[in-house]
Amino acid sequence: MVIEVKESMPDFSISIDNRITRIRFRCMASPCEVLIDSQDLALAHEIAACAVGEATRIEHKFSRYLDGNLIYQINHSPGEFVELDAEADRLIAFAFQCYDLSEGLFDITSGILQKIWRFDGKHPVPTQRQVDELLPFIGLDRISYDKKRLKLPEGMQIDLGGIGKEYAVDQITGLLRNQYKPGILINLGGDIAITGMRQSGEQWFIGIEDPDRSQQASSMLKMRRGAIATSGDANRYILHRGKRYGHILNPKTGWPVEGSPRSVTVGADTCTDAGIIATLAMLQGKYAEEFLERQGLKYHCHR
Amino acid sequence: MITIINPVSSFHRRFQYLALVSVLLLASCSGLGVKPWQRDIHAQQEMAMDADSLDIAVDAHIYFSKEASSGGQGFAGGGCGCN
Amino acid sequence: MQLKRKLTGALSLASCSLLGLPTAQAESQWDIETAVMYYSEKDRVTAIEPILGMKKELSDDEFLKLKFTLDSLTGASASGAVPSTQVQTFSTPSGNDTYVVAANETPLDPTFFDTRAQFSLGWDKPIKRTLRRNLGFNISKEYDFTSIAGNASWTWDTNLRNTSYTIGANIELDWIEPEGGAPLPLSSQDPDSSPPILRDGDSKQKQVYDLLLGVTQIIDRSSLVQFNLSLSLADGYLNDPYKLVSVVDSTAGPNEGEPVDQIYENRPDTRQRSALYSRYKKQLTNRDIFSISYRFMSDDWGIDSHTVDVSYRWRLNNGYFIQPGIRYYEQSAAHFYRYFLLDGDAIPGTVTADYRLGELTTQTIGVKFGYSGNKNNNWSIRLERYTQSGESHPDVAIGQLVNQNLYPDVDATIIQFNYAFLW
Repeated sequence: MVIEVKESMPDFSISIDNRITRIRFRCMASPCEVLIDSQDLALAHEIAACAVGEATRIEHKFSRYLDGNLIYQINHSPGEFVELDAEADRLIAFAFQCYDLSEGLFDITSGILQKIWRFDGKHPVPTQRQVDELLPFIGLDRISYDKKRLKLPEGMQIDLGGIGKEYAVDQITGLLRNQYKPGILINLGGDIAITGMRQSGEQWFIGIEDPDRSQQASSMLKMRRGAIATSGDANRYILHRGKRYGHILNPKTGWPVEGSPRSVTVGADTCTDAGIIATLAMLQGKYAEEFLERQGLKYHCHR
Repeated sequence: MITIINPVSSFHRRFQYLALVSVLLLASCSGLGVKPWQRDIHAQQEMAMDADSLDIAVDAHIYFSKEASSGGQGFAGGGCGCN
Repeated sequence: MQLKRKLTGALSLASCSLLGLPTAQAESQWDIETAVMYYSEKDRVTAIEPILGMKKELSDDEFLKLKFTLDSLTGASASGAVPSTQVQTFSTPSGNDTYVVAANETPLDPTFFDTRAQFSLGWDKPIKRTLRRNLGFNISKEYDFTSIAGNASWTWDTNLRNTSYTIGANIELDWIEPEGGAPLPLSSQDPDSSPPILRDGDSKQKQVYDLLLGVTQIIDRSSLVQFNLSLSLADGYLNDPYKLVSVVDSTAGPNEGEPVDQIYENRPDTRQRSALYSRYKKQLTNRDIFSISYRFMSDDWGIDSHTVDVSYRWRLNNGYFIQPGIRYYEQSAAHFYRYFLLDGDAIPGTVTADYRLGELTTQTIGVKFGYSGNKNNNWSIRLERYTQSGESHPDVAIGQLVNQNLYPDVDATIIQFNYAFLW
């Protein structure tokens, strides 16, 4: 449908700076950019169409904030099986694997907690009763999932926000890597992957934002290959009785994790892997570094 | 990660939960088992119940033809006129 | 809750399949397993059985399995008739010839020769996230016997895949075309009369229905246990068309115990069996593997049996292993089993002297040595000794039979060579 594509295709801007072409756009509620190790504007337009198109496609298909898409259909058909296409089936299967691997800490059904937890600095901390009322509706193992079909019990919802952005980064990276020779860096709101090295053989330099001083890079990370993802958000927290609660919620208790770092950045082969490990590290609270050490991946943990 | 919120009620609730879970575990034996990442040993081919399947087939055939019992591990029929 | 594991391996496997990236696994190949088994009983049957097994992953966790078996048998087998102090003459199964058994020798049917070819096919496919279905087909053909069978089973994994329940059913149809036709049950075999064997049609049939219920439980990181309950119903021609029962002289005197007649056996035409099979397998801390299984079987022919099988796989260096094993089996006799019948007594409606339906115990002692260090090149050699014994001098023996061996031991050697590789 042409109209929908026009509506959904966000604006993007292209600029060239220091031999690098930069495409900026907004998607998935985040600032996004694609850096190309080339100064070819025609190429940049092609790549922009591809990257922005794929990012938007994934957002429209899997965002739970949009009406009428597959996630909406699943979340609004309690007690009914909803057929999944191949891509959705892969994502759901992956979510189940992450749930199993993390002993239930990574749970795409925990999104309903956001009804009571609003990390905007205005809303108060919910009561234990409010939390207890929601807990019976959380737990991926309560969902019926056959091959290619999914059924939610009444009151439950799924939210692929925890993997969607990282998945989009990997998808775009895969698309661009196959088609274009110059090195390209894809950055969707801090989740980053590169298709290859820069032509000069230089590495890509990534600045990691200091949660206390946003807009200013607090440390620098060099990338030759692979992907990085960050979990944690300096601007999303609740101050309650002198305690600062980060926005990472434990699906088992319904409460934010205490003692978790401000942010965790992880490097891995794929952005999806990096994102899952970063999220799990946040969920480990004060054991985040211990957990990250064990994974044998590069990481940066900001407290 | 340790979340301490309202320690008394939480402990009480967890204890009840624990007691309930233990009873269920004992009743259903579902307490047996391993976590997904503890399957390294069970993933070894030699640990499968159907490892050495040709030996199992050969034995089944020999014993089917020499004894009055068959099956158990698999189906009893032998597809063989030897007994 | 603290996660104390390294998750990256399993996670990258999962994300590779999410992103459609090639995983570390190579493109699907055929897993080939081959074996040659040589079985030899002292003075009796010799068999050579080559097997070719092939397995391929069609798609994620979907497997196709093919198996070809050839089985060639030569030698003699006990016919069920008792020894005599005199030379005995029997008719061959075809009725066209005779053979002679020396005095005081166990009568064997010396013309036993057969080749069997078998093909089986299995298709194992996941149909839901935690449910697998296996469909199987089996066909087997030998000179006097044709069998086809089909089976279906479902395995449901639950409790984080720590518990698996299986339910399966098998239907087997067999056609028996005995050499020269099926003998008339309980009729006499008399080489001097014409025809020497009375017939009851050329072709016979039987069906076997099987139901299997199983549960496999992972106990901990290194051990698991399995329980199977199987029920089996055989219906139709269950006789062995070549087995005889001797009728012996029961009058006191020099001829007491001498066979006066040889009749063909007759078994009931249904048989219900149920078996409980359990097995425990554990890997020890030194990575050796211990396995023990026990089976109890009971049928409505009056046979109860117990089987215990123990093996210990001792891991040597560099992928080699040595695995001693021992198996013990005992069974009670079918209620219609007789060592022989007495002349003058009414002939029972069902009777057999087939040693395999008598009271017996067997032992297998064996050792397997092999190499399993490389999936592309695995081999093993197995050497086993199998002995079967029963009551050689039962209390029921009379006259000359008191001095005869009415249940000779079977003593067999089994040598098997396995070779597996990827293709």
